[in-house]
Amino acid sequence: MADYQEAPLATRPKTLDPNEYFSVSLEQRRSEQSRAALRANLKRQYQMQLNNPLRRELIEDPALTRWVYARTHTYPHFNATSKTSLLGAMFGVAPLFILYYVFKTDRV
Amino acid sequence: MAGVGFRRWAQALCRGNGSGISALVSGCRAASGVSKGSLPGPYPTTPEEKAAAAKKYNMTVEDYEPYPNKGEGYGDYPNLPERSQHERDPWYQWDHPDLRRNWGEPIHWDFDMYIRNRVDTSPSPVSWSSMCKQLFGFIGFMLFMFYLGEKFPSYQPVAAKQYPYNDLYLEKGGDPEKEPEEVKHYEI
Repeated sequence: MADYQEAPLATRPKTLDPNEYFSVSLEQRRSEQSRAALRANLKRQYQMQLNNPLRRELIEDPALTRWVYARTHTYPHFNATSKTSLLGAMFGVAPLFILYYVFKTDRV
Repeated sequence: MAGVGFRRWAQALCRGNGSGISALVSGCRAASGVSKGSLPGPYPTTPEEKAAAAKKYNMTVEDYEPYPNKGEGYGDYPNLPERSQHERDPWYQWDHPDLRRNWGEPIHWDFDMYIRNRVDTSPSPVSWSSMCKQLFGFIGFMLFMFYLGEKFPSYQPVAAKQYPYNDLYLEKGGDPEKEPEEVKHYEI
């Protein structure tokens, strides 16, 4: 397996990554452990809800709720910097005037 | 029964110290639904806020990294690596196999772009610069050649069509009594 070449469009699997075996420090192993602990806890919560025979409702995903909330409530964290003002002017204000001019002048 | 409840409500309204709409709306809310602490909030500044945000999003403190605070509206949402779902292990037992995602895992801001039907960030067989050079090189070359073809056209020699009978003098409505001028289409 030493000369394993992955397919052109695939990334190398984690178990065949040489960095996994040769240059790993203790802190990396500890952080991987804490990540795995979090993941296992979430898996356990999901499986408990999934296999509960008395459950009648949908399993709601708080990560999904947070994602939707974050994407829709961007205004409270908005600041008018030069970059955001430029983007707003380019996409919101300029097309209005440009399209008005084009539709009014270019008549069939 | 309903009358008693209505009277109590009216009494509470008179006693309440709010004014206008706030007097009509109750000061407490139901305990069902998501709590405010589990929803995204403003950009975290202190390390304690960062730790609390990492816990909220089910990430470790080293992994959690908010978007830079440039006023673009992200708040404290984590800045996850820009990797599409194509790159995730197809053989692992995901909770949602079509999305290659586990329940409760933090969702990337552009998750709906990175699903398996859409943008794919997996490695390509040729480097990006090489692909760009090949494509734009070919298009540029073809455009240049078409431009040259417009500028310097090359075709079989042609001349104007030559008609007999003095350029069809009678057919074009010329006077039969008059003598037409001689039209010669040749030189000897």
